[in-house]
Amino acid sequence: MFVSSGDLTAAAVRKGVRIMAISKTEIEKLAKLAKLSFTDEELERFTAEFDEIIAFADTVNQSIEGGTEQIRSVDARMVSFDDLRPDEVVPSLPNDKILSNVEGYNGFFKVERSKK
Amino acid sequence: MRAGIYELAIRLRNREISAVELTKAYIDAIEKLNPAINAYVYLTFDTALKAAEQADQMLKEGDAPLLCGIPMALKDNICTDGIATTCCSKILKDFKPYYDAAVWEKLKAQGAVLLGKTNMDEFAMGSTSETSCYGAPLNPRNTNYVTGGSSGGSAAAVCANLAVYSLGSDTGGSIRQPASFCGVVGLKPTYGAVSRYGLIAYGSSLDQIGPLANSVKDAAIVFDAIKGGDKRDQTSVDYDYGSSLAECLDRDIKGMRIGVAEEFFEGINTEIKSKIEKAIKLFENNGAVIENIRLPALKLALPVYYIIACAEASSNLGRYDGIRYGYRTSSYTGIEDMIVRTRSEGFGDEVKRRIMLGTYVLSSGYYDAYYKKACLIREEINREFDAVFENCDVLVAPTAPNTAFPLNHKGDSPVEMYLSDICTVPVNIAGVPAISVPCGEDSRGLPIGMQIIGRRFGEATVLQAAHFYEQSAGKVIGDYEGGAGI
Amino acid sequence: MNYEIVCGIETHIELATKTKIFCGCTTEFGGEPNTHCCPVCTGQPGSLPILNQKVVEYAIKAGLALNCKINTKSHMDRKNYVYPDLPKAYQISQYDEPLCEKGYIELDSGKRIGITRIHIEEDAGKLIHESGLTYIDYNRSGVPLIEIVSEPDISSAEEAKEYAEKLQLIMRYIGISDCKMQEGSMRCDVNLSLRKPGDPRFGVRTEIKNINSLSFIQKAVMAEAERQADILDAGGTVVQQTMRYDEGTNSVTPMRDKENSDDYRYFPDPDILRFCVDDKKVEEIRESLPELPFDKLKRYMNVLGLSEATAKQIFRYRMVAEFFEDTLAEGASVKNTANLIVVTIFSNMDTEEEKELFAIRISAAQFAALVKLADEKKINIGVAQSTLQKMLESGKPVEEFIKPEDLVGISDEALESLCKEAIDANPEAAANVRNGKDKAINVMFGYIMKKTGGKADIRKAEVLLRKLIRQ
Repeated sequence: MFVSSGDLTAAAVRKGVRIMAISKTEIEKLAKLAKLSFTDEELERFTAEFDEIIAFADTVNQSIEGGTEQIRSVDARMVSFDDLRPDEVVPSLPNDKILSNVEGYNGFFKVERSKK
Repeated sequence: MRAGIYELAIRLRNREISAVELTKAYIDAIEKLNPAINAYVYLTFDTALKAAEQADQMLKEGDAPLLCGIPMALKDNICTDGIATTCCSKILKDFKPYYDAAVWEKLKAQGAVLLGKTNMDEFAMGSTSETSCYGAPLNPRNTNYVTGGSSGGSAAAVCANLAVYSLGSDTGGSIRQPASFCGVVGLKPTYGAVSRYGLIAYGSSLDQIGPLANSVKDAAIVFDAIKGGDKRDQTSVDYDYGSSLAECLDRDIKGMRIGVAEEFFEGINTEIKSKIEKAIKLFENNGAVIENIRLPALKLALPVYYIIACAEASSNLGRYDGIRYGYRTSSYTGIEDMIVRTRSEGFGDEVKRRIMLGTYVLSSGYYDAYYKKACLIREEINREFDAVFENCDVLVAPTAPNTAFPLNHKGDSPVEMYLSDICTVPVNIAGVPAISVPCGEDSRGLPIGMQIIGRRFGEATVLQAAHFYEQSAGKVIGDYEGGAGI
Repeated sequence: MNYEIVCGIETHIELATKTKIFCGCTTEFGGEPNTHCCPVCTGQPGSLPILNQKVVEYAIKAGLALNCKINTKSHMDRKNYVYPDLPKAYQISQYDEPLCEKGYIELDSGKRIGITRIHIEEDAGKLIHESGLTYIDYNRSGVPLIEIVSEPDISSAEEAKEYAEKLQLIMRYIGISDCKMQEGSMRCDVNLSLRKPGDPRFGVRTEIKNINSLSFIQKAVMAEAERQADILDAGGTVVQQTMRYDEGTNSVTPMRDKENSDDYRYFPDPDILRFCVDDKKVEEIRESLPELPFDKLKRYMNVLGLSEATAKQIFRYRMVAEFFEDTLAEGASVKNTANLIVVTIFSNMDTEEEKELFAIRISAAQFAALVKLADEKKINIGVAQSTLQKMLESGKPVEEFIKPEDLVGISDEALESLCKEAIDANPEAAANVRNGKDKAINVMFGYIMKKTGGKADIRKAEVLLRKLIRQ
């Protein structure tokens, strides 16, 4: 099976092995997920900074070895069924309020699919 | 000596001054000073004057609430119906919510007079307020220095007497650290004590709204006015604090158990350390019991904070896509491209950095190593705090490891800047309340803040200890000359 | 070559709550664009979600009806992806702590199709693409859904259809959704792969999205199984991808890839507290469930003694079954009630929807009053049918059409005197009968029916006539 370097890194991180450098490709992949784009120059700078930030975050990874099966604590605040919101209609807001921060069309939000 | 809310309330009731006159005095001061200090990014003088007229009417009718007619300010991430709320980000340019935040709804009903929205780090991400798209606010005590952040404008407005009090938000120290840098009082309440409805989210499990004011008593009065559960925020709690907290500040601290954890003092500037030690001595000399305690998990608090806050932020900030509000890029080839361009042009570097970190720690393959482990350590930190509060009533610590940075102090890296949050983030992680009170100045005359931390919903004890210190320590920092002069 | 179909179905069902899952806006269908909206369901900055209790209750009902284990502790997660119909850029859903797990649906063959999980989540808004513009309506944004995920236990197109059909029937029965596939309140995604018989390994699977009718499920499974078999027979490999079923050409084609990656970065939603539903509450909800359709069917056949055909016609529609049982509760007989429903009432209802709605103008009590006349032989079944038709058309009770005096006219005494009358009026015919010309009795039947307007019990009359003639 084909294994990308990203997968290897992830596997190593899961085991608590510290992997320092993050590749530009990985940054680009994250940027795509985050719906951000960077110029080449920004990408260079960002990749360098990100290494340090991840090394910083990695102290957390290093501090616990191995798996993390249990995540929720017993004392996490809970709400009981009876305290959930009752199913009672509250009047919605008028359409002009909903659209007050954009130029709408016939009550719709509107986006041109391309624009020069 | 500047008048506190209580004294102003008496003067308003004695007709020594009207709410309109009071408001005008603040408007004049803002017009004079704000261009230099940049504490406010959006001014609402017209509505302020109208609100002041109504406040005068309420006062005339009698039985008006304490905050009626008192001019104040809101951080720019607290939603105000019909009034720009931008988080000091280009991406929320011109955004006008059509709903009020729960806190503003409460204050408005009590006759509060809103002067404007205050400057902040973009989306509350930063420790200097310099990531604001409107440029940084300046520290009124020395304009070569930053106000701290992210509620820098709220701290500066109170410090320069351009508002009697203000509201800020605190995710990792954003109320307490600028309060400390500007020499004012800042209270971060217990997570859930104040409704977050209408607070534009950064790190939802950490964010909390609180007051910045000139005295502990003023902070207590404002907290009294904004606290309480809200059906629109499921994480809020309708905690019964008993009577008004502002009215029971004068408790004797004899026998109060004050914890001091050495972890809070590691790597702290020696000037700050000695001022805090002096304050601890003052408590001890007045009958408090000092307990030396340990919080070993604290060493991980900072990365835990950045992982959790950024994870939540990366999700919370996904909605800024140019479709329903805010900035939209001018040219693009498709909707996906429009969204990417809008976000890339609309967000500043620090916000992008945190969105990227948050995306990384949640992404497949890394979730367990970062986000999940951070949550586990968060629980460990909570347990340590719980254990400590079985033997202590409050903890005393510095608010920040340093006093205000000079402007444009970039440090060596983003991480170096993150380190300045070391004393404040554990409080947010544990969800406990803490206050910052001025406790001295450094050799450059910049204010130093002392942090008093309490157990969950222990605001009364925190405020009592802070009030005691404020009253007993005498003058620890110089007065700010200027502002509204009232 | 022969292959074995390995198929699982994910079903999204819109819950029939009054309000959306996280705000008080109405879930009502239609409405002008963006008029069933508020800051919460349009993802305005600073807004916060508040979970609707009814959504949890309905999902638990679904879980109980599908034999699931109910997780008494559950929480909401954020599923992060950016798309213009998703106003917060995350869908609030459930990832690792779904409300219900490990249930099943039993097919007619007795085979059980496992239910992996049922979780609650929110629907997205609607996009309309038109001449270079995209219009967005968030009225549907935040409408509550449950997603029911089956195990890959389905091994034929028929089973796929039967599974979906049964699921739809059960969900309608427990009243949590109208499950109208055409309107999108029930949508199915089919996962399918092939493998050689006996091979324990799964093949590469594809997912056919958003199938909107029961028969299309069957056709889509067949079409996709054929498509994959052709690929495998030719020595190729199936590509894992998302497909669309085109009913026009009865074919399955790959969908244009959404540019979204499938790394959804799930994490617990910090705005919504974890919630618990204690066992007592679960029991309360269980008790509130109606008798489930297939239990009812068995009871109709085994206890009430209905034929399979009749029982199946009645149990399919919850409203019909209720009307049937309410009528029985008024003391009407099983057989006459069932027959009158199936023959007369259903003849007024051409479509499934009409039977589903079962909007009729008479009450069960009024219906029972009529059935009982037939039960007591006070009217014959033909009269019962024609009277019922008049009642259905007018909404008027039985007394409007059958007067007490009509009924008195055919009491036992009245019938006896009528018979005497008939004999007296037709002495010749009576004599013929006496002499063995049996058919002559019809003359007297005609007399009696004419006099009673067809209401007399003809078998009773025959007994009486013979007795009187022999005397």
